[in-house]
Amino acid sequence: MKKKLLATILSAAMVMSLLAGCGGTAASEPAAAPAEEAAATEEAAPAEEAAPAEEAAATEEAAPTEEAAATEEAAPAATAGGSGEYTGGTQFDGVTAKEAYKFPVDVKSFQSTYWQAALKGMDMAKEELGVDYDAHGPNSESDIADQVNMLNSDINSNPPGIALAACDTSSVLDSLKECADKKIPVVCFDTGVADAPEGSVVATVATDNTQAGEVAAENMYKAIKDVIAKAESPVRIGEVNQDATALNIQQRGMGFVNKMTDLIEADGKKVAVVGNEFYANEAKKAHSDLVDEASADVVIEVSVPAQTTVELCSTAAQAIMSKSDTIAIFGSNQTAAEGVLAADANLSLLGSDAAAGDVIGVGFDAGSIIKGAIEDGTMYGAVTQSPLMMGYYAIYALTMAANGDKVEDFPTAGYWYDASNMNDPTIAPNLYD
Amino acid sequence: MTKKKSIITDQRFIVLLVIIALVVIYMIFSPEFRQYSSILSMLDFSYYDILMAIGVTFPLITAGVDLSIGTGMVCYALVAGRLVRDYNCPVLVAMLICVLFGAIVGLANGTLIGVMGLPPFLATLCTCMITRGISSMVMATPWPTNKQPGGWFHSIFKLTFGTGRNALKLPVGFLVCVALVLLMEFVLNHTKFGRYTIAIGSNKEALMLSGVNVKIYHVMAYVVCGIFAGLAAIAYAAVVPTVQPGTGAGLELDAIGGVFVGGVSATGGYGSVIGTLVGVFVIVLLKTGLPYVGLQANWQQIITGIVLIGAVMIDVAKRRRMAKEQ
Repeated sequence: MKKKLLATILSAAMVMSLLAGCGGTAASEPAAAPAEEAAATEEAAPAEEAAPAEEAAATEEAAPTEEAAATEEAAPAATAGGSGEYTGGTQFDGVTAKEAYKFPVDVKSFQSTYWQAALKGMDMAKEELGVDYDAHGPNSESDIADQVNMLNSDINSNPPGIALAACDTSSVLDSLKECADKKIPVVCFDTGVADAPEGSVVATVATDNTQAGEVAAENMYKAIKDVIAKAESPVRIGEVNQDATALNIQQRGMGFVNKMTDLIEADGKKVAVVGNEFYANEAKKAHSDLVDEASADVVIEVSVPAQTTVELCSTAAQAIMSKSDTIAIFGSNQTAAEGVLAADANLSLLGSDAAAGDVIGVGFDAGSIIKGAIEDGTMYGAVTQSPLMMGYYAIYALTMAANGDKVEDFPTAGYWYDASNMNDPTIAPNLYD
Repeated sequence: MTKKKSIITDQRFIVLLVIIALVVIYMIFSPEFRQYSSILSMLDFSYYDILMAIGVTFPLITAGVDLSIGTGMVCYALVAGRLVRDYNCPVLVAMLICVLFGAIVGLANGTLIGVMGLPPFLATLCTCMITRGISSMVMATPWPTNKQPGGWFHSIFKLTFGTGRNALKLPVGFLVCVALVLLMEFVLNHTKFGRYTIAIGSNKEALMLSGVNVKIYHVMAYVVCGIFAGLAAIAYAAVVPTVQPGTGAGLELDAIGGVFVGGVSATGGYGSVIGTLVGVFVIVLLKTGLPYVGLQANWQQIITGIVLIGAVMIDVAKRRRMAKEQ
């Protein structure tokens, strides 16, 4: 009897995990057409003369007819993307692989289409360069130990180079030390390792988070500029940051706060930064002319929830949005941005017309909820990273390193998107579901 | 013992006073908290905690625990949500799958603990890991929103009349939760299953010696817990925009903490579901209310921890007095 029961339970569990597995793979096909990616790459990398023809070739089998059209569309959209300084640089010009290298690639997980977009970028680069890669990743981004194990077994196979998106930057330090000892070049992508041992990480291909935060501030300011100018009493801008410890969130958060302060002060208004101690203190270091809340024209309030969950981000957002003087709010990653939207489910304050009293909501990254909110005008817009470009250039950087050439860090841009440009071929491939 | 004395020393009564005190303090210090929408959001985020807590009250009364409810809840919501997204599964069926999945995991927990004799902490820690592992394989999943087809399930928890800023929103989920609390309070106190659950916690051997098939009732306590984790998954999917894979660890502690604050004995054998309801509200108020009074993250957790110590100390003092009286 006991055995039968156990067998039933086990088989039930298996069926369930099977179902779960099916769910994952069936959903993992992003809608983006390959041709669009080719276009995206061209746009962000005009400096790379050799690229267009090769990329087209790489994607031709998949979508021969759409390809040409998509490339044409890309041209006018080019200005909508990032600024000129993020355009590949000249270091990748004319790179060819000396051998048919095979690089291990350690991603944070395969969960979101974010990582699948990165792998697509890698596929494009590998076709162009005639190299290959082999991607590994743990179940979820919080399975730190699993990733370290994968990284260590990669090191043991003495590869020509490793691409790494570290789940936890401090846990990989020992492994990186080993890479330095064995002279295996490591390219970090998506996430940089700030205190990596000397000689291990040869280049970092990651979003310039400060710039990404600034892009959010610039675009938000366009929408609220007039309201601030005409305001008779102080107004409030909120920012919800998932935490005050991760480097990328810190940089994004401060990029936004500092840029917003610059823009407002340039128009002759006084700014106060209040809320979470870390962000308020950093802001004081960057701007000596900040005032206190009572004498400010514009108050920037930064809130950090106790845990990085949507419900607590939502509570933090609601506490700010409920204040009658709040005119705009920024959620600096997907969780925080969804928290803002969850708060708005009961408040119904978000909208795109600040003059009419709408609160302007700006998000970060994508996901179908944020995309849906931007499409229907609830959320004003958001900043997306470019996983596709990160993957693409990570392989280029690795190839150069394996060739023995010197590689420099390569920051990729955060791109503004809203209802008007989210279907552009330069933007759409980066907007995962 | 006079009746008046028993009300005042009743832990539920003390906890109710704490809730009132918290609400009054928040309302004094935060004009935003006084807004209807704030109360509405607080309730939104309390439903899944309440449902998990109703369920976990039963294992806790048997002197066990169920650590798998948090990750389990997220796992059920993800798997069922994916079926809706990718296989056009009707939302009603998805809801049933949540409950069924919860019951199966509960049955697994119950079998490991009640039949095979594993320590509850260990057994449910394992299912906690397993459900977390399964949920890591599924992609981040939003259930249908209010406006999408299939979004009707939101109205189980919140009825919305009209659109935009002037829409009237009624937190009917609270009534649903109260109804379930009363139902399970009745089950706990007036059915064979309920009484035996309490007996397992207070004196399992005596129950066995009196010829009761303890194993079945022990397993049932975990199945009930699993079913409520499944119901919590529906409530969770209704408030969280996107259910994220691999998450949920730690959410069970809010529910378990709430149950202890509500007066379930830390060593089992005593407790009430009504107590659980008020206990969970203390945790929810601390979790969602403190940001309104401008207290930063770290303080919220410190204060929650202190409140929990207080609640368990009341329990310890109560048992000491009872031992003395005997």
